[in-house]
Amino acid sequence: MFIGISAYNHESAIALVDNNGNLIDYYREESLSRIKGDKSFPKRALKRIFNIHNLNTDAIEKVIFYEKPLSAFLFPLKEASKFIPESMQLIVNQIRNFKKSSLSCYLDIAKEKPGLEKKLIYIDHHLSHTLTTLFYSDYQNDVCSIVVDGFGDRSTTSISYVRDKYNIKELWSSSYPNSIGLYYSSITDFLGFTINEGEYKVMGLSAYGDSNSKEAKLVNKLMKWDSFNNKIILDLEFFSFYKSITDSYGSKLISMLGEPRNPFAKLLPGDLTFQKYANIARGAQDSTNNVLSKIFNYAHSITRSENFLFSGGVALNSASVNYISELDFVNKLIVPPSPGDSGAAIGASLYGYLKSKNVKCIEKPSLYPSNYSCYDQYEAISKLLDKNYILVTDNHIDSIELACRLIKEGEVIGTIISNSETGPRALGNRSLICNGANSKSVKKLNNLIKDRSPFRPTAPAMKKETAYKYFELNPAVMSSYKTMTATCKCKKDSISLSFPTTHVDGTARIQIVEEETILWELLDKLIIEGIDIIANSSLNISGDPTCFDLIDGLMVCSITPLKYLLTDIGMIKKR
Amino acid sequence: MDNTKILGILYETIYAEHGSALEMLAACKQAKSSSLAFGYFEHSKDEYNHTKTFRKILSNKTSGINTSELRRFRITPQGLIRKGYVSQNGYLVENMSLKNFIAYVYTNELLAESSFSKIVKLLGANTEEGRSVMKIMEDELRHHGKAKEYFLRYFPFLQPWQLSLYKLRESIKNKGRKFYHSNIALLEHIFYPLYSLFALIISRLLKSLNLKEFKRSNKNLMDINYKSIL
Repeated sequence: MFIGISAYNHESAIALVDNNGNLIDYYREESLSRIKGDKSFPKRALKRIFNIHNLNTDAIEKVIFYEKPLSAFLFPLKEASKFIPESMQLIVNQIRNFKKSSLSCYLDIAKEKPGLEKKLIYIDHHLSHTLTTLFYSDYQNDVCSIVVDGFGDRSTTSISYVRDKYNIKELWSSSYPNSIGLYYSSITDFLGFTINEGEYKVMGLSAYGDSNSKEAKLVNKLMKWDSFNNKIILDLEFFSFYKSITDSYGSKLISMLGEPRNPFAKLLPGDLTFQKYANIARGAQDSTNNVLSKIFNYAHSITRSENFLFSGGVALNSASVNYISELDFVNKLIVPPSPGDSGAAIGASLYGYLKSKNVKCIEKPSLYPSNYSCYDQYEAISKLLDKNYILVTDNHIDSIELACRLIKEGEVIGTIISNSETGPRALGNRSLICNGANSKSVKKLNNLIKDRSPFRPTAPAMKKETAYKYFELNPAVMSSYKTMTATCKCKKDSISLSFPTTHVDGTARIQIVEEETILWELLDKLIIEGIDIIANSSLNISGDPTCFDLIDGLMVCSITPLKYLLTDIGMIKKR
Repeated sequence: MDNTKILGILYETIYAEHGSALEMLAACKQAKSSSLAFGYFEHSKDEYNHTKTFRKILSNKTSGINTSELRRFRITPQGLIRKGYVSQNGYLVENMSLKNFIAYVYTNELLAESSFSKIVKLLGANTEEGRSVMKIMEDELRHHGKAKEYFLRYFPFLQPWQLSLYKLRESIKNKGRKFYHSNIALLEHIFYPLYSLFALIISRLLKSLNLKEFKRSNKNLMDINYKSIL
């Protein structure tokens, strides 16, 4: 068995691959700790994997860490050392907190599972991303991998050519601090959202912006592609993330754009300052799209490849994925369901398998790899169920029929069904769902239950034939539609333009549901009733990670207006 | 008291309440009986609602304060660990015996109630915000009572004076924590020149370090030495 670990920088996670190359388990630490974006060493995930699979350290052949710790530690420090005394606080902080960095991986493993640390190996960060994507790809030979994130262990962006799974050659990279990810995060910060959490809000907000506005043009200019030297150029005078521990952007950005947004103020379409901030978001999205398209162009010119693997945190930007997929030369663009750092644990574990002696083939992993069943907690919560809830039915078919009836009546339903998704997108097993064409239901889901900003749309889930009916699907990213990693446009004059799940720019982050899933089962029945679109959002309390177990789901029911929970044990209703 | 000081108190309280909600949720998941699980679930639910109330009060208090000042009061889930409201070693229930855990809850709910009374004074007892905090105080007293009830049910041989001892121990710990935090700024002030000197030496060394040696251009990434940490 092979354990892949990602930790210390973004959401930490652990993946377990068996001796046949199958991904048999995977957990994000945040799912178990309930702290969103938990980046600490994933000790609960490690413990759960050992308990569930009854493992001992002898059963583990290798533990693979997803980056080179010393590189990850030294590169930003070396950059900061150029800016002393301004960067002194950052350097002091980095050195004092080295125990919270990747450097302590060996010690943390030794503390949690003594003996396991002897099996620890380290791989290149961007290779972890590439291997994760390769795991989910139909193309495993002669394909180009592009990794774009904030910062890996050496570079911020890279192009590699995958001749086959043993021959992955890096052809180009962009060095820190010229980073698309950190540029986007700094603008996120300026717009009053939290870094590593609010980037998707910026993406949603950008749809309201105008590319020709003064603000958008100014922000757009801050990051460029130097086509002569083939380099990403970030105008560093406007940013501070590489020399400051507290500020991601500099005073020059404030002089140029005015006061940053008050993080506590509501951002409502139509308000006085809304358009200004939407334009800034538009500028960030435009420059990201622009530089990404230049990188893909360059990758195509040096590899002649038309098939691409795309990963790293920036690949979470589904609007950019759609933009790139429309480039002339792109035949296929594969984005894994979890393209960020937490997903890189999967690639790391695959590396261990590929380096072992008995390699057969790579099996495409399930989209629901985190093992769980509501029955595990049924007894423990019997009193809670008795007192606060009613188990309306414990029969699965009756539960589905009831769920359909409720959805038709405009109700919002939560789901906790068996294994959980890789994240960050809920694909039906940990979701809040309702009729995607019913504005009132979608509004209830968004505003009352999720407490989301009104400028952010909810994703629509549907069967493939429905998607063809309403949306302009791009064959290059068909696999992304299964995991909500790409947006697409509504067909001209289609009724879908008026769906509450459609964004202001006429796009939607659709999900084409897979067969033998809960959403498929529901749609089978709902289509007969005339409902072919389900609005699908992750089941969680605002600010918390997506629910993992039944208790988390019941908590959402308890503190929000959500009344129904469709689970493995049947349909549960709040009293 | 000026508004930024109130914001500071509310900011810390939000973390404390959110931390408590997560502690109780973890306790609910680890409970050996369905009664205990139910009790911890209800407790966690209350703490989540308290967090929401304090967040709302904090948002209401931000008008008239400039944005760069306000950025300090942004709540991030990561802050729970960074600020020590959830220990890096795990939740209390993961590291304590049940007896100690119940005693901890018993004591801390009482201490929380008393610190909220200070917040009520700051907000004004007759304001809507003050009244919502007073309602939270009632919840905290109820939690305290429940913890005592559990304690006596599960550990009937314990005497009331032993509970008082637990309370004293937690009070001393809390005072110690407060003393440490109020003096940490002074310690930082004393040690910062030392840290800076150390950082300066390190940065000099780093400047001379040629990391370009480790570029991977045109290398097969699958063949890089997997034992190396650089």
